[in-house]
Amino acid sequence: MGTFLQLMIDGLSTGSIYAALALSIVLVHQATGLINFAQGGMAVLSAYIAWVIYGFGAPLIVAILAAVIISFFLGALIERYLVRRFERGDPDTAVVVTIGLLTLITGICAWFWTYNNQLFPSLFPLDTVQIAGAVISVRSLGTIVVIVAIMLLLQALFVGTKLGLALRAVAIDPSSAALSGIPVGRNLMIGWGLAASLGAIAGVLVAPQLTLTPGMMDSALVYALAAVILGGLTSPIGVVVAAWLIGILENLAAVYVPFIGHDLKIAVPFVLVFVVLLVRPQGLFGRKSVVRV
Amino acid sequence: MTATNSFSTAPASPWRARLERPWVKWGLVVLVVVLAIVVPLLLPEFANQTLARIGVFSVAVLGLNVVMGYAGQISLGQIFFVGLGAYVTAYGYNAGWNIVIVFVLACLIPAVVGMVVALAAARLGGLAIAMVTIALPIIGVPLAKRFSEVTGGSQGTSARFSAAPEWSGLYDDQWQLYLVILIGGITFLLTRNLVRGKYGRAFAIVKGNESVAASMGVSPYRFKVLAFTIASLIGGVSGFLYMVVVQYTSPETLNFGHSIELLASMVIGGAGSIIGSLIGGAWYVLLPQVTNIIDPNLTTVLQGAILLIVLFFLPNGFVSLPRLLRRIGRRDAPQRSVAEVPQHTEE
Repeated sequence: MGTFLQLMIDGLSTGSIYAALALSIVLVHQATGLINFAQGGMAVLSAYIAWVIYGFGAPLIVAILAAVIISFFLGALIERYLVRRFERGDPDTAVVVTIGLLTLITGICAWFWTYNNQLFPSLFPLDTVQIAGAVISVRSLGTIVVIVAIMLLLQALFVGTKLGLALRAVAIDPSSAALSGIPVGRNLMIGWGLAASLGAIAGVLVAPQLTLTPGMMDSALVYALAAVILGGLTSPIGVVVAAWLIGILENLAAVYVPFIGHDLKIAVPFVLVFVVLLVRPQGLFGRKSVVRV
Repeated sequence: MTATNSFSTAPASPWRARLERPWVKWGLVVLVVVLAIVVPLLLPEFANQTLARIGVFSVAVLGLNVVMGYAGQISLGQIFFVGLGAYVTAYGYNAGWNIVIVFVLACLIPAVVGMVVALAAARLGGLAIAMVTIALPIIGVPLAKRFSEVTGGSQGTSARFSAAPEWSGLYDDQWQLYLVILIGGITFLLTRNLVRGKYGRAFAIVKGNESVAASMGVSPYRFKVLAFTIASLIGGVSGFLYMVVVQYTSPETLNFGHSIELLASMVIGGAGSIIGSLIGGAWYVLLPQVTNIIDPNLTTVLQGAILLIVLFFLPNGFVSLPRLLRRIGRRDAPQRSVAEVPQHTEE
């Protein structure tokens, strides 16, 4: 029982990191209709920024907040000066542009800070607590709490604020949104900026665990994409639940199904996604889109 | 046969019309055949090997183009079928089977796997298909390591069947390039005929609007499955050619990163274009070599930057370069007719 609970909490914790990245993917998709493959790379860059500021002697929490703010502006600038050219064009080209961006950002990180692993301090103490016979790290619990808070904030932003309404309007129909007086361009920049900030949080949460390297987020991004599809592209809560489900199932399967083991556990989320999609093509929490001819 | 694409609304330029004349067309065909026969004999070994690798990846990009460029379905798993074809080739040859049978199996097994995956995946819309195809290389790598008695595990497996035979008097690199030109050339010809025929038209309707396709009696599901199957088959051909040229495969071959690079190459060359597939293959092979020459420390930065710069000016890939140049020419010299603007090749 203790092991089981521990696997669950650890799964929730890794799932939370996928969730942060998945939320930023959903945010960009809500704002611009794009799937941003560079989201992981941008998160790594943000983590490096926090690490550099921390290296100058700033307290960790200040360094992280500064990185979150800098990332907001970086994301907005990338949208304005690069991505905007491709937003309403061929979707294949837009996907490849974000792939190019990922390559470029990874290259820049490697150029400045090499491929060597850098130690990143943890925001949470390294203590553990005993709950029902399971040894659970405070870091896992902290990660989960942070992600739940962000998820609730995002849901509130989308549903309860004027900005969220404007963001959704721009995503659904930019020309109608413009006609109703919504500044489309500014909303797109805000969407990308918020997504980059979220990525920054994912980056600083993951960095202490994996140590900081340019390719740190590569596999997290793949899991995040799986969570986005599984949860449905339109629902922040759905995406977080899907990410947790993936994290937990992957952990449980690796331990309890001997054939799967640690090398094949990466297959678990994809098989899960596949099965769910066959039953519900719009994802667990997504809305079905109706097409008119 | 008319080569005018019924879906393009732009009028054919006079230059294009000139190219359509029968004697020009046949002259070009003869020229290409002569070049294909002579060039491998004249070039140094390294150039031949590079050309052969460009051929291998052009075929892989061509397969991706069938499913993405023509049928409009995002596939992030093309490299899986290339790797599968390579593994089948290596296993079949090492088991002592006839090489023709090995080739047929290297095409058929990926095609069948592709079809089975597509039968389930094609029910899903755009991004969900992308997710299912992402899973192929990601699950493929640990699977290839797991079944080491077939695949050779992480060590990989090699098969050396493409040495030049005694009677030909050729060097190995020349013989391999000939094999690539022959098999790859046939693949390109067959695919070109396919996408210009009624299947190509069905793909284009499915790509344009599935609901319209369905209302016209073209089943989107059937043609999506067909496009995936053909793409997987062509991927298998590319995998066979990969073993001809590289003679070695390992789980690294079907790395997800390579799948992404194939996708980028396809868009850079030009989606939905036969010539674009060739350019894409050249891009896939040459870009790392070029950036390595510029500065080995900056390879990744340069690759990303060059990709973005090219797409910024040519969002439709290199095949749209002549159109862009023509437009610039027209803007600079409005009195000149389009036909007088110097034509540039895509290279």
